[in-house]
Amino acid sequence: MSVTELRPRTPAEAALVSLAEAAGTDEDARSAAIEALRREGLPHRRIEAWHYTDLRNLIGRRLGKATGLDAPAGSACDDDVLSPLVAGSTVVDLEAPEDTSAPDGVTITASNDLADWHESPNHLDRPLDTVRLVNAAFGARVAKVAVAANTAVAAPIELRDGIGARPHAAVAATVGTASKAVFVERIEGGGSPAPASRVSHLTIGDGATVLWIIDQAKDSDAAYLGQLNVNIGANATFKLFVLNAGGSLVRQEVHAVTAGEGSEILMRGVNLLQKDQHVDVTTTLRHTFPHTTATETFRNVVTGGHGVFQGMIKVAKDAQKTDAKMACNTLLLSEDGDFSAKPELEIFADDVQCGHGATAGAINADHLFYLMSRGIPAPQAKALLVKAFVDEMVEELEVEAAIADALTGKIDAWLDHSH
Amino acid sequence: MPAVQETIDQVREIDVDQYKYGFETLIEMDVAPKGLNEDIIRLISAKKSEPEWMLAWRLEAFERWKTMESPNWARVDYPPIDFQDIHYYAAPKSMSGPTSLDEVDPEILRTYEKLGIPLREQEILAGVVKPAAGEEDDGLLAAPSGSRVAVDAVFDSVSVATTFKKELEKAGVIFMPISEAIREHPELVKKYLGSVVPTSDNYFATLNSAVFTDGSFVYVPKGVRCPMELSTYFRINERNTGQFERTLIIADEGAYVSYLEGCTAPQRDENQLHAAVVELVAMDDAEIKYSTVQNWYPGDKQGKGGIYNFVTKRGDCRGKNSRISWTQVETGSAITWKYPSCILRGDNSRGEFYSIAVSNGRQQIDSGTKMIHLGKNTTSRIISKGISAGNSNNTYRGQVSANRRAANARNFTQCDSLLIGNDCGAHTVPYIEAKNATAQFEHEATTSKISDDQLFYCMQRGIPEEEAIALIVNGFVKDVIQQLPMEFAVEAQKLIGISLEGSVG
Repeated sequence: MSVTELRPRTPAEAALVSLAEAAGTDEDARSAAIEALRREGLPHRRIEAWHYTDLRNLIGRRLGKATGLDAPAGSACDDDVLSPLVAGSTVVDLEAPEDTSAPDGVTITASNDLADWHESPNHLDRPLDTVRLVNAAFGARVAKVAVAANTAVAAPIELRDGIGARPHAAVAATVGTASKAVFVERIEGGGSPAPASRVSHLTIGDGATVLWIIDQAKDSDAAYLGQLNVNIGANATFKLFVLNAGGSLVRQEVHAVTAGEGSEILMRGVNLLQKDQHVDVTTTLRHTFPHTTATETFRNVVTGGHGVFQGMIKVAKDAQKTDAKMACNTLLLSEDGDFSAKPELEIFADDVQCGHGATAGAINADHLFYLMSRGIPAPQAKALLVKAFVDEMVEELEVEAAIADALTGKIDAWLDHSH
Repeated sequence: MPAVQETIDQVREIDVDQYKYGFETLIEMDVAPKGLNEDIIRLISAKKSEPEWMLAWRLEAFERWKTMESPNWARVDYPPIDFQDIHYYAAPKSMSGPTSLDEVDPEILRTYEKLGIPLREQEILAGVVKPAAGEEDDGLLAAPSGSRVAVDAVFDSVSVATTFKKELEKAGVIFMPISEAIREHPELVKKYLGSVVPTSDNYFATLNSAVFTDGSFVYVPKGVRCPMELSTYFRINERNTGQFERTLIIADEGAYVSYLEGCTAPQRDENQLHAAVVELVAMDDAEIKYSTVQNWYPGDKQGKGGIYNFVTKRGDCRGKNSRISWTQVETGSAITWKYPSCILRGDNSRGEFYSIAVSNGRQQIDSGTKMIHLGKNTTSRIISKGISAGNSNNTYRGQVSANRRAANARNFTQCDSLLIGNDCGAHTVPYIEAKNATAQFEHEATTSKISDDQLFYCMQRGIPEEEAIALIVNGFVKDVIQQLPMEFAVEAQKLIGISLEGSVG
């Protein structure tokens, strides 16, 4: 299909564009992005990168029944109620980042720039990227966070939406050579008719170590489009943890690319799904330099709703000795839920070790029997097995106890609530 | 040691410029004018003396095709096809519907002989079943002693000969060109044609429905185990022709049939289109085993010429406990776009897909399977081995899905890729869709060179390095080779250039 072809706009697409136009008084700055959104429309299932998340249809349904949602809701986090994920974090209000009292070696500034929407992460089969386009059309301004070289930032930097503002944010984070930092993307809040969005760019300097946590716990009526773009320097370490435990329509993209030899990538994620949710995690990992290592594992617990995992490992011709593994494991706990996985490999170098595995199924009957034969009643035994299944993701991150405890705490809260 | 010498040599043996079936048979042909329109479809239908309903079916498909767009989701790249620049019908002039081998142009028989298909020999042997040894006559399809293969050979647009027809009839098996079946068994054709791959299925299947010229028809009645392997050999000979064959195989309750398919074409600078449709129907307790050795002309080193192999193959496990198994060895074609699939409709049905895809030169392969679990307790197994060399791209694309009602569906998928050289690509695109909580899916894919551990293991047991590598490469494709009927295993072995010796077990 020709990507430039003009097709009639659906009512949902037209409605989204009007919402974008009404999303603030700064329409001039956003007009090009709004125009592009009008021209491109929304992706649908015949666009390969959105095969399992037919955004045009899903947003259409959402806007169709959006009568209760049309107030541009106070969607963002309420600082008074919400304590940081990890105690002692530096909390950045992305609506007013300059107000943050930044720790030594960290500069946090506001800017008037929209996140760049002219370029698309290269695997997407549309000339313009939907998440970036929505983000810019709704006027997200880039907050800049810079960690100087040779700086170990002790406290995590938590990035959250401003109070009562529009739920669209953009972040440009850089971590200097040989520095260490932890970032937490805190994504909370209620529904607005249009999906909320966040586009982040993270540049990791040579030899630096970064842990980036995406903690998405939107209200059950909220739609959210998130994108993290990562550039990983030579001999740098990038760890990622994605926790999806909320939202009604969620798409979280992660696009990582190596920018030097010897980098190490560790991506872990847990998707917890309930009835009526649609949660999509789409990742691309591009190995463009030799001797890089990556492991990527996502675990999904489905008690209802629709789950999607699309993962792609790309190995360029020059990226010899790449060692990349990807896995997606799903526990289906209910007849109401389904899960679709598309773990892709695209390999152009011949001396590499790449693999992916995907499983889907119910709780292992042997494991259940083992526990029950030791006197543990079935519901508790099941809960135990589910917890072990997802907690493993946190363990494999190998991070300090405070962070691991915060993550398992969030997971436990969801499990307690849903069982 | 990314470039394993042994493997490189083996693959080079079947490299594109080593194509040995590239000769052309010079005989007078009866060729329809170029172009695609209603008149051509009427002409094809008339040439085949088809009943009115068949023509109506074709024309309806053509109407639909005109509204469709060529698919572009596969990882293959080719210039737009000019569908008006193709002959949709070509038949050797000397015969329009031979009744026995004697009426077949000897030139054609010689062609098939060169290809190793012993039409005449088998005809002579028909009825004179000699379980004796010493049948080491000619080449590729030479069966081990005592075993025989019934062959339907399709030359461009017509089927030139079907052997062993009489003996098959005795068992109640119908094996004939589909054009003949449309005339002689219209009730069966009407009932099953398009019931697995509907005319609206996809761009190339719809095109095929409008213009298909020949192919095989097999019906195995209730409780009959087909007494021999059935085989079709397809050959594109005429320049600028497209081959659009249609195969329909029905195994009625409790029946069993094993079907083999082989393909070759002359070397030409132009690309030629091959858009086939294969439909399999397995009723209760029936089993169909379908094996393909696809060796269409792959084009030259620079990627000039070669066959575009755009094929829709689908099996429908319609009955309980039915079973369909696809085995394919893909070494030819400039572009392959092919996904032999199983619809597991009947409870306890089973689908299998075994594939070896070797790409070299500028070949592009985008192939895989679909296992659609609809019934309860359905199981499927996918084993795919891709070997890419030269400047080729080799993609596995497969879908496994479990419907809400497919309780206890079970799938195991393994797709492994081996890269030889640094100018080729190996890709894996699986789609795994679980809509039932009791479904259990496992998918595994690896891409690698030969592992040092395996090599070390062999070598420390005293096997020299070269031999150890050969052993490991043999092991890489063994799972699939083992699934091939004996007759094809021999050919597949030659094609892949990888000996089975030493990898028994």
